Amino acid sequence: MTRFLAWRLAVCIPTTLVALSIAFIGIRLIPNNPILARFGQHAVPQQVQAEMIRHGWDRPLYEQLGGFVKDLVLRGDLGESFFHNESVTDGLARVFPATVELTLAALVIALPLGIVSGIVAAVWKDRWPDRLCMAGSLVGISVPVFFIGICLIYALPNMPTGRRLPPGVFYDRSTEFVLFESLLRGQWHVVALAVKHLCLPAIALSTIPAAMVARVARSAMLEVLNADYIRTAWAKGNPRWRVVLCHALPNAAIPIVEISGLQTGQLLAGAVLTETVFSWPGLGQYLVHAVQQSDYNVVQGTTLLIAALFVLVNLTIDLLHCGLDPRFAERGVANAANRV
Amino acid sequence: MRIAQLLAVPRPRLICTALLVASLMEMAGCGAPGNGANDGAATLIVGRGGEAESLDPIHIETGEAVKVVVNLYDTLVAYDEETIDLVPGLAREWETSDDGLRWTFHLREGVRFHDGTPLDADAVVFSFNRLIVDDNPHAHSGIMPYAPAYDVIEAVRAVDPLTVEFTLKNPSAVFLANLAMFSAGIVSPTAVEQEGADFATHPVGSGPFRFVRWTRDQELILAANEDYWDAPPGVDRLIFIPVIESAVRVAQLRRGEIHIADNLPPAEVNVLADDADIAVQTTPGMNLAYLAIQNERPPLDNVKLRRAIAHAIDKKALIDVAYDGSAQPAVNPLPMTMWSWDDSISDRPYDVERARELVEEAAAESGFALPLDLSLYVMASPRPYMQQPMETAVFIKEALKPIGINVRIVTNEIGQHFQRLGRGEYDLGLAGWSTDNCDPDNFLYQLLDEDNINDLGGNNNCRYRSAAVHERLLAAQQELDRDRREQLYREAQELIFADAPMVPLVHSDVRLALRGDVKGFHLHPTALFRLRRAELARPTP
Repeated sequence: MTRFLAWRLAVCIPTTLVALSIAFIGIRLIPNNPILARFGQHAVPQQVQAEMIRHGWDRPLYEQLGGFVKDLVLRGDLGESFFHNESVTDGLARVFPATVELTLAALVIALPLGIVSGIVAAVWKDRWPDRLCMAGSLVGISVPVFFIGICLIYALPNMPTGRRLPPGVFYDRSTEFVLFESLLRGQWHVVALAVKHLCLPAIALSTIPAAMVARVARSAMLEVLNADYIRTAWAKGNPRWRVVLCHALPNAAIPIVEISGLQTGQLLAGAVLTETVFSWPGLGQYLVHAVQQSDYNVVQGTTLLIAALFVLVNLTIDLLHCGLDPRFAERGVANAANRV
Repeated sequence: MRIAQLLAVPRPRLICTALLVASLMEMAGCGAPGNGANDGAATLIVGRGGEAESLDPIHIETGEAVKVVVNLYDTLVAYDEETIDLVPGLAREWETSDDGLRWTFHLREGVRFHDGTPLDADAVVFSFNRLIVDDNPHAHSGIMPYAPAYDVIEAVRAVDPLTVEFTLKNPSAVFLANLAMFSAGIVSPTAVEQEGADFATHPVGSGPFRFVRWTRDQELILAANEDYWDAPPGVDRLIFIPVIESAVRVAQLRRGEIHIADNLPPAEVNVLADDADIAVQTTPGMNLAYLAIQNERPPLDNVKLRRAIAHAIDKKALIDVAYDGSAQPAVNPLPMTMWSWDDSISDRPYDVERARELVEEAAAESGFALPLDLSLYVMASPRPYMQQPMETAVFIKEALKPIGINVRIVTNEIGQHFQRLGRGEYDLGLAGWSTDNCDPDNFLYQLLDEDNINDLGGNNNCRYRSAAVHERLLAAQQELDRDRREQLYREAQELIFADAPMVPLVHSDVRLALRGDVKGFHLHPTALFRLRRAELARPTP
């Protein structure tokens, strides 16, 4: 177990660095000069030249990458956004909380919904509850999120169309965790507003993870329900709920935990479409705008954060996996290497 | 409980807090869409498609930033509320020396910045020095997109506290118009020195609204400047919120969550126009959408081929297809509402036969085979002058097919698109321009003068070179007599029409949808977003 953990931790750093380097080089391969993009249709050639030199973007790639990593390691500095007058660290501190709150809200809807419908579908296989759940999950996976979002907005005219709070509301806060912080501080009116504004985006965003979890839960449960020990459990006269929940579910949990973890990782990386429809100021839009504008430092900083998050999520899944199935750690390093 | 306080409007904090708590409770409870913080202050909410990059007038370029900045700062001269005539702004009057090199401006008395410091001649000198002095420590970035407009200024000096004198390097016909541009907004020297680079997010000017708070991508709040030297604003507070998805902007406008929505697709504006609660304002746009032709690339260097392309495009049909009818066909690069627009030129008629003949003649002269393959570059996202770029591109592709030109459409992100056009890496391309200062020079010199061919961002995308046009455009820049200038621009337009370096497509109407309870706001011909006169008739629906 210790060896496994050590190996997994050791792999984290190079994985993150490789992701960072790919983003670093990739964004520079796009033939879009960030300075010309900033100038729009009013570029001033002399200023463009001077800015290229000032930012060191005329230097070879390896020098630029070296400089970035050096600043990052020595000073924890991700640089400045070229488009906005703020450091990338401040930018991330502004957008990441919005993404975290939206992700958690979506998971609160998606996980119970997905797991319950997966179990129901497996238990009543090929009967109407199964068909209903699987049809629902097909819709969840295939209908685009922005379409669901716009439908929700028109269908529920009394709900706010996204945003974190109504315009003009300002209150005492020190982070952008609007919901969490107001909960901790007991600012109940803000909590009520924040929850209300969170509803539609969270519902829209939860559709895909709920559907994915439901499908995986169904097939995992089906596999387990056909196992010999379950037949034994039935034979011993256990009630249905007990066989399903106490005997089958724990053994079907591993794939469910894995898919839930991966979905969490994806949601934390930002949900561009949901954010766009609901004007939600999260990580996804921040990154997409930065790519469009070739805002190098923002792309790098955001990729670094997302890569680190994914690595952490994967690590957490593995640890949970170990908890659920101790043999996993023993199978050890080779297995883990495949997962990275 | 520490609950919200609105910092926007100066009034006793207790009342403010109490009102806000009440409004929060109401909104949390009843679920009716509210117009934001409903604390009794008249709050106008503008929903728009994007976010400003900065609020420092010398460092901005995008329309989203300009929309805010024109409400924050004043300029020495200003545009009239309804027309594009220049009227006194911070300067109550001005005079010019006989040689046109010395301009003296007399400032209004008693004007103060939002931070309480006086707006005097020193502040004006300070503001202009940020634009014209190289490496000025008070300019916080090397990016000053509009600085070239002020290159003509040799020096600015304060004669006395209320008199400023500009010395020019040469006489300039556009100098005064450029002083009315947002980039010449007068900033508070005290605030610039105090805030440093943060002035971009904590701006202090003397305009009708003062800055309150900006949470990027969430909201930007301004409050009325009650001490404004002219009539104070009609609303207490102004909130700009980014609502990226236009369909959501429409939904919010219908529900009354926002009061004004702009940059809407033409079809959606037409639908909104039928809504009794919503008014749509339209003004002929001072803009141009054009088909850029890379004049240096054979066989497009053959004028017959370029004329053939012009004959093949039915601009009226294009307006129906891509602008939902809300645009005017363009004949010249200049908007029809701009003075010196040449009304003696009649456009090449839509004539496929004639176009086909011209293509065949060009093929014989330049030795190319038919059908001819050309690329057509198109931007991925709409611009005010080109609301549906892809529809426009497909229309042109279809229009050129019958005359023996096969078009391959190439889509690029907007920034990349203009960079590639600027470098001449294309055959045909969609492009356009919106006026900066309402002067013909701003279109003809920017878009078609050989001085503006540059790989690092020249706007002469067509790479059109004509000594005769160049000579006239330069002469017009220094000619102070308006009639003689007009004559020069007319001659230039005739030369340009004959050479057909581009196909002017349309002048797109600027349209804006607003709730019926917003009164007093009129869309300016330049689409300037000055909200001082806007008022809210209450009760809000």
